Amino acid sequence: MKKAGSTGVFIYNPPIAIPYPFDITEITCYLSSFPNVVRIWQYPDFPWSEKNLVKMITEHQLERLVIVGVLCGTVKTLFSKAMTLAGKNPRHVYLASFDEYGIELTKDLDRAKSLLAHMITDIPMEVNPAGIQPITQPATLVIGGGIAGIQAALEIAYSNNTVYLVEKSGTIGGKMATFDKTFPTLDCAACILTPKMVEVNQHPFINLMSYAEVQDINGSPGNYTVKILKKARKVNVQTCIGCGTCAEKCPAQEPSEFDFGTTMRKAIYIPFPQAVPNKYMIDAASCIYIKNGKCRACVKACPVPDCINLDEQDATVDINVGNIIVATGYKPFNASRMAEFGYGKFPNVLTSLEFERLLNASGPTGGNIHLRSQDKKGNWIFTADTPKPHRIAIIHCVGSRDKNYNKYCSRVCCMYSLKFSHLVMEKLSDAEIFEYFIDMRSFGKGYEEFYERIKSEEVEIIRGKTAKIEEKDGKLFIRGEDILKNDLIENVVDMVILSVGLEPSEDTAKLSAMMGIPISEGGWFNELSYDIEPTATIRGGIHLAGTCQGPKDIPDSVAQGSAAAAKVIRSILKGTVSQEHDFIPQEKIKSYLAEIEK
Amino acid sequence: MSVRLQPELRNQLIQFGIGDWNACYHCGTCTAICPLSEKGFLFPRNKIRLMQMGVKDELETSVEPWLCYYCGDCTKSCPRDANPGELMMSLRRYLTSKYDWTGLSRKFYTSGVWELGFILVFAALVVIAFLFLLPAYGFKFTTELTAQGGVQVNAFAPWEYIEIFDWSMAAVVALLLISNILRMYYKIIWKDGKTTVSIWTHIREFWLLIYNFVVQPRFSKCEDKNYWLSHWFLMSGYTIMFIVIVVYLEWFQTDEILPFWHPQRTLGYYATFGLLFGLFVAIIGRIRKKRIKFQFSHVSDWLFLIMLTLTVITGILIHIFRINGMAWATYISYIAHMAILVPMILIEVPFSKWSHLAYRPFAVYFQQLKKHAVPRKSNQ
Ligand SMILES: Cc1cc2nc3c(=O)[nH]c(=O)nc-3n(C[C@H](O)[C@H](O)[C@H](O)COP(=O)(O)OP(=O)(O)OC[C@H]3O[C@@H](n4cnc5c(N)ncnc54)[C@H](O)[C@@H]3O)c2cc1C
Ligand code: SF4
Ligand code: SF4
Ligand code: SF4
Ligand code: SF4
Repeated sequence: MKKAGSTGVFIYNPPIAIPYPFDITEITCYLSSFPNVVRIWQYPDFPWSEKNLVKMITEHQLERLVIVGVLCGTVKTLFSKAMTLAGKNPRHVYLASFDEYGIELTKDLDRAKSLLAHMITDIPMEVNPAGIQPITQPATLVIGGGIAGIQAALEIAYSNNTVYLVEKSGTIGGKMATFDKTFPTLDCAACILTPKMVEVNQHPFINLMSYAEVQDINGSPGNYTVKILKKARKVNVQTCIGCGTCAEKCPAQEPSEFDFGTTMRKAIYIPFPQAVPNKYMIDAASCIYIKNGKCRACVKACPVPDCINLDEQDATVDINVGNIIVATGYKPFNASRMAEFGYGKFPNVLTSLEFERLLNASGPTGGNIHLRSQDKKGNWIFTADTPKPHRIAIIHCVGSRDKNYNKYCSRVCCMYSLKFSHLVMEKLSDAEIFEYFIDMRSFGKGYEEFYERIKSEEVEIIRGKTAKIEEKDGKLFIRGEDILKNDLIENVVDMVILSVGLEPSEDTAKLSAMMGIPISEGGWFNELSYDIEPTATIRGGIHLAGTCQGPKDIPDSVAQGSAAAAKVIRSILKGTVSQEHDFIPQEKIKSYLAEIEK
Repeated sequence: MSVRLQPELRNQLIQFGIGDWNACYHCGTCTAICPLSEKGFLFPRNKIRLMQMGVKDELETSVEPWLCYYCGDCTKSCPRDANPGELMMSLRRYLTSKYDWTGLSRKFYTSGVWELGFILVFAALVVIAFLFLLPAYGFKFTTELTAQGGVQVNAFAPWEYIEIFDWSMAAVVALLLISNILRMYYKIIWKDGKTTVSIWTHIREFWLLIYNFVVQPRFSKCEDKNYWLSHWFLMSGYTIMFIVIVVYLEWFQTDEILPFWHPQRTLGYYATFGLLFGLFVAIIGRIRKKRIKFQFSHVSDWLFLIMLTLTVITGILIHIFRINGMAWATYISYIAHMAILVPMILIEVPFSKWSHLAYRPFAVYFQQLKKHAVPRKSNQ
């Protein structure tokens, strides 16, 4: 690393300015610890005239001048001129202006030191000026319409500010919309969520863009221009009455995304009956007309004129927003990566999200638990025609806490596994359930009590993860160690549920690059400070909510949604976006300096 | 019963090659996936627990480490990179040192200097014997060839003498080994003090011992069949060589050059091939580190491989030089051969890696005994 040339420092604090918030000797001490600082002048003992300055510069062979303090911009021209006259580069006059960098209070001493270190050593560090920027666009963009995004959007909308809610899929609701009950209260998920989803749709301040994606983000905090790709639904959201006649006639079938592939939907479809918007849409990839130019069965069937437009194309719109809330959620761990569990090979090895659909009263089997079977085309689907399982095993920590996959704990899978046990007992009274776990993580309010309750419900809870699942004549064989009993158990079950962990959603890396916010270990969006700024990011005006920041349950996602909204509302009310984040910790500066020493 | 915890045990075990003893979080995956772990004889997880807690007494009396054939399945699927397979291997080294009453095994495993020093001293003794001792008894290095044009090996290293030496070495080694196996037996079967095994069971289960020694069926139960084959070749080659050299040296070490298809030669060639093939697989494996069992090599693993390879190579050289009538080359390779072979046998068979040849089948035998053990009547 290049060493900065010999530097003279001028501490400037004219009487008209606010006095320094901290002891000036702290600053001088810190400054003199830099080897390239040749001399420090303190106001008012300055070589004030041009001539004196030139003399000083030549006498001390100064290459660079740093002016530290308040209002130092006012004296810069004088110093630059002196440098020119001394035959030095006039650009090597640097301002460490406290007022410009938002150093106002005693607690900002560290920030002041960071700034000084940067100026003295000339190492590029991201200490940006302007702690505060005006916000010129009061509207807010929320990316992702899961429970976190919904909560944030509603909070802001109820403060009478415009929200654009961009949701990638055909409906808002996220994963929660697929659940039957939520732990630990065993509340009906739909009963809590559906009203909120409808509110979002009807709120005058929310502009819901479903089946849309963020393509590009430009601009600066307080004034972002966002390009949004509105994918063609090919059904007019305004006029469609949701009668479903079109889907009845449509001959094309595809596995349903909403049901995680456990049922089939048509090419023209509604993600699920309570979808918001409650309108049909066309999946271009499976539509026969779009592929071959022949069919139009839906158009012929639709009772509303011009409602379906098979030739509609994707469109982009630009919106201007002051703040952005990212709430893109998670995706489940891909269980087929762990070949030993035979997911994707044995039909009755399910992932937890698939099982949620099986439990759901509005799911493919009406909430009854049946074995999975194959349809004529070979798709593995849930129907109510197959027998019910008697013995069900649940395996914890699939893909989590595992150095070969994800090192972190996914936080919700212990609890939802317990929820599964309870719901199975409720629905199949003669079932036997085996939960294989490593450690039971029931950390939340009421969670341990929930665990105790499940334990009393005759669920076999085994400490020890299994290693392998084998299938023979439709039965699944599991070998596992019961660590507490110091025994090997060879179990035969009808169905295995893999409690897959949470992973960042697909677009996380793309969005991170677009927005310039970093990703933490494990791939989640990085918050500014885990303890005290869990929703902010290093970029002003960009906030995080829900599982996109890290695995969490619904209550935490909702809380974070509200918290992010509070930040946005504050920014709108004050008319500014804060950027206090560019502060560099002293440790980092020390390591920079150590590197220079080398 | 109270259990004594000796956390310092971990530091000892580190010298035997255990890596990160603290990584395991007891998920049980390894025990579940292990093809050889069975009810009543669970491993590797619970042995790791004993190691972490320092339950020395229970570790020392356990038979399970010997039931592991190091297929590496557990290491592959361990979510914490705790390397259970290598932990079991290290335990076997540790146990070998515990069975050995001389204390040499421990020294060899934990100190390269000791091991190397031992090898050099015995190699030197062998060289001295050939250069000074045998000539004193009238045997000589002669460049005079036999009628067939072969070297007169027996003129400088008479098979009668070599055989006497072989026998005495075999006796020493066998004594050491047998006493170690008895100690192993005591630790595994009697020391826990809770069960007893009848004499009849001892006799009935003995056939298993023989079977296990010859076929090594447990090895083939481990998933990798290819490795079983190469290991089998190595083992059978080694055994054949051992027998012909120790028991039938008169028949094996002849000055006459026998026709190619004579059993003396074919058997020798087979054994050489078996050894070379097994060694080749092991060395390439340890270099490539693909197979889990070869990923972590203790010093003793390398030393052993190198010595055995050198022994085989010098053995081949003796044969080639002899039938081609190159007298001096034959003598030098013969001395080199013995100088490597003797310390290798003395170290490896009773104290180190090759002792598992004996411990493994005995462990299966002891396991069988344990299965039929009945609770001991308390001393009234
Ligand atoms: C099987 C299972 C059971 C569970 N049960 C419970 C329970 O009982 N109780 C509980 O508290 N928690 C439970 N959880 C946890 C719960 O699912 C999460 O806490 C919650 O859904 C997180 O909500 P979210 O809004 O952060 O993310 P999500 O629900 O994942 O929503 C994210 C939304 O963003 C959209 N999106 C993604 N990428 C983009 C993009 N690039 N552009 C636009 N939109 C995008 C998605 O389509 C989705 O609609 C369970 C989890 C699992 C796996
Ligand atoms: S038939 Fe027309 S109105 Fe009815 S759901 Fe389909 S697109 Fe909508
Ligand atoms: S929450 Fe439970 S099941 Fe999920 S990763 Fe953590 S410990 Fe494993
Ligand atoms: S060694 Fe690995 S696989 Fe075995 S119990 Fe420990 S963590 Fe689990
Ligand atoms: S290496 Fe193979 S035999 Fe040994 S404990 Fe591991 S899985 Fe079992």
